[in-house]
Order: sequence, then structure tokens, then C-alpha cells
Amino acid sequence: MSGMSGPGWLAGIFAALMLTVATYCTGRLVAARAWRRPTELDTDGAHVVMGVAMAGMLVTGLRTFPVSLWAGVFAAGAAWFGYHALRARRAAPATPWRCLQPAPHLVECAAMLFMLLAVPASAAFLALLPAVFLLGWVIRLADRLAVPVPAFAAAPGTPAPAQLMAGGTGTPGRPAGLLAPRCAALCSMAMGITMGYMLITML
Amino acid sequence: MSESLAVGRAEGWARAQPQARAQPQARAKSGATALDPRRTLQLALAALWLFDGILQYQPSMFTTAFPQMLGDSAQGNPAVVAGPITWSAGLIDHHLALLNAVFATIQVALGLGIAWRPTVKAALAASVAWSLAVWWLGEGLGGVLAGTASLIDGAPGAVILYAVLAVLLWPADRAAEAPFTAARGAGPGLARALWLAVWGSMAVLAVLPAARAPQALSGAISDMASGEPTWLAWLDIHAASALNQHGLAASIVLSAVLAALAASVFLPVRRLRPVLVLALVVAVVLWLAQGLGGVLTGMSTDPNSGPLLALLALSFWPAPRPAEGSPA
Repeated sequence: MSGMSGPGWLAGIFAALMLTVATYCTGRLVAARAWRRPTELDTDGAHVVMGVAMAGMLVTGLRTFPVSLWAGVFAAGAAWFGYHALRARRAAPATPWRCLQPAPHLVECAAMLFMLLAVPASAAFLALLPAVFLLGWVIRLADRLAVPVPAFAAAPGTPAPAQLMAGGTGTPGRPAGLLAPRCAALCSMAMGITMGYMLITML
Repeated sequence: MSESLAVGRAEGWARAQPQARAQPQARAKSGATALDPRRTLQLALAALWLFDGILQYQPSMFTTAFPQMLGDSAQGNPAVVAGPITWSAGLIDHHLALLNAVFATIQVALGLGIAWRPTVKAALAASVAWSLAVWWLGEGLGGVLAGTASLIDGAPGAVILYAVLAVLLWPADRAAEAPFTAARGAGPGLARALWLAVWGSMAVLAVLPAARAPQALSGAISDMASGEPTWLAWLDIHAASALNQHGLAASIVLSAVLAALAASVFLPVRRLRPVLVLALVVAVVLWLAQGLGGVLTGMSTDPNSGPLLALLALSFWPAPRPAEGSPA
């Protein structure tokens, strides 16, 4: 694995944060099924495995599976998000159950591979690129946290996420919404900051 | 249910629908907000603060090298300036892990605070106070009073540029028809004065005795190569080699370019674009000479002045008239 280093207590804090994110995202997956509320299944799933894997990378005692297995998981994740990034560019139909912005998650998976596989010190510059990208993504998420909800702006007849959710358990007069998107955004921000820290400590 | 990501999802969903893309007006009516130039620059500033915070979490910042670096900035400064620097460096040395973690967290919080719209004013105001404190206690006022200021080290101080940008990107609209983004919150007069102060001070610092010595510039650049990746070290070493023994001429040329940039802010706005392109080029060249601020060495606390100068130039780019009701 990588040549990460840093104060042990700081790594412990980040590891605890990652386990919290993983636990919360597991809860989201369960709650989404139980309450029939849409959530980004692929994003939440990726955050569960990333949270567990990163906690193990930060604190040795939390290591679970071998590096090769994690590398395979994140290679598959990168392929999944890469495929959907291409589909999104081709304006393929989307569903509220899949991530609508796969590119950041593609970078996350690529960064995980970068950190898991042995990277030569001369490739330090490569560590900075995903770190900067992820920090930029965190900033964009923070910016969106306070934007009011617009009315949905798709063409007539196009099923909107809110419409797809209407079969869910929304309260009368208020259609069922996406499952706690602010919390999802905060999870992504926590993941981005932690990953940015891990990448920069590899410089 | 939240609104935040719902916006992103709705926008993303709409993007994914060909019909929806054909209806930009409907999207505009819906309230889906586009970023205006000032908000984009604020987010870029926020990203730099966040990046600074993460750099402050680097392992090397938790070693005694950090307070030593702060203490070194006291050298050559008047006693009234050097005293507090030495005191704060000693304090940090005694509580290194705690205080460094606090500093890093403050910078992360400033970044997120600027990015989150409800706290943008508070975070920008706090960033001014933080920048001034760091400029004094962390950078020794950029070495301006010590006579050792070097543009390669970020003089007049990279961190003071954060404060300048916070003022220029303040989310207010004082000027009814601001000629450029920076004038919207600060007004054209103050914006031009700050531009003149930044580039003008750099022009002066470029020809100080310590900076115009025959090997001063080349020596400063070659020092940046230490610890850098091979390609960047190669670039800096070759630049230093080319400037070797030509410090005086290089300093005069650099100073002349910087002075021209400083004065040209008073040109009519329609003639400002070439000047700003030149300013961007100078910022990039300077940043390369600064070894990208040393961010690839694991010993840097910030990306130095290059990106901030570029942001400053972009904030003077002639802006389209802001749409009615556009957010800050």
C-alpha cells in the first residue's frame, strides 16, 4: 500500500469519520428499501466500501480484506462509474436510483486504486490531481447545500425523479423525496476531504 | 427533504433528457441557478482555502520544522514586528499538535464557509482577519520591512492576497453597473486601488537590493527545485541557469512588466483584456518559478501567490451585467 504517514490521532479521527459514513450509508440503503424512498444506490454502496477500506488504510487495526481484493472492488467501481459517465454524456435516460454525476465517483474509485496500489514517489504529482479534483467537488457540494429547490424542469411526459418517487411514501401534499440528500452531500464532502488528506499525505 | 442535492439531481436529470436541454427557458423559470462570475471566483477562493487547510494537515506540519519556519520569518524585521512572531512561534512549538490541528481546521472551515452561501459573508470577513494575522505572525509581513522580500517566495505575501480577494469578492452590489467583477462589492475605486497596490508593490520589490543582485533571482529559483518532482526541478534548474548572473537585467524587466500591469488598470475597460491575459501569464510563470508553491514537496503550507494572482486577474475580467436577482 501507499506511503501514507501522519499523526496517529489524526488518522484515528479520519478513520472514525469514515466508519461513520460507511455505517450511515449502509443505513441509507436499508432505509431506502424499507421506506421505498429513492437514493443513489451506487453512490451509497461505493461509500460503504470506500469508508471501510479507507478506515483500514488509515488505521492498521481496522484492516479487513487484502489489498488485491479492495483493488478489484474499486476497479469494478471505476468501470461502473466510467460507463455511466459515458452514458450521461450521451444523454441516456437516467433513473433516480443511480448516480447522476458519476465523474466525481469515478475519480474517487481511481484515487482509491492509486492509494491501494504501490505508487512510486516520483508520481507525487499524480496524487495531487485527484486531491484537487475532490476538494473542488467538496466545494461545489457545499455551494449547493443552500440552493432552494426549483420546480422540476424537464419536458412534459418526461418522468422526473419526484414523479418516480410519487409511488413512495410521501406525505399528503408533499411527494416523496430523495432520501436525505443533504446528509448524502455531507457524506460525500467528508469522503472528499478525507481522501484529499490521504492523497496529500502521500506527496 | 433537502433542497440542495435535489437541485443537483434535478439539473442532472434535466441534462440527461434531450427534450429538457431544448428548454433552457423553462429551466430558468424553474429557478435553477447558474453560477455568476463572482460566485465562481468565490468558489475558487474557497477551494484554495480548503486546499491550504489540507496542506496544513500534512505530517511535516506536526513537526518542529513548522514553528521553526514561522520563527525564521522574524529575522530582519523591526523588533515591534519580530517580537510577536517569536512569541507565537514559541507558543506553537509548545502546543504543536493541538495548535496545528486547530489552524488546519480553521482553514478548512473558511473554505467550506465561503462555499456555503449562508455563511459566505462571515467566512470572507473571518478570512481577512485570519490572513492579516498569518501575514504578520506566519510570514513576517512577507519580508517587506526586512528588505528580504522576494517574488519567488510570494512577496508581498501570498496570504495577504487572500484578504485582498475577500474584499474584492465581497457579496454586495455597490456599483450599479460595475465594469468588472471585483468592482461589484468593493466599488471601482477601491478595486483599482487594491490592484495598483498589489502589482505596484511587486514591481518595487522586484528591484530591491536583495532581489536585483546578480544571482538573487537564479538562486531563489534553484532553491525551489529541492524536493520537487524531476520535471519541475528540471524546469526550475534550467530557468535558474538561464538567469544566472543576469539578476539585475531580469529584475528590471520583471519590475517594468509588473509596473505596467499595475498602471494599466486605469485603462478603459474594453482595453483591459490583453492586460489581464498578460497578468495571467505572469502569474503562471511566477508560479512555475515558485515550484508550484512547493505543494509537491510535502513541506508547503499553501500554493504560494501564483494561483491567487491569477484569481485576482480574473476578478478584473470585464463582466457581463449581472442578471436580476442573481445570487451572491
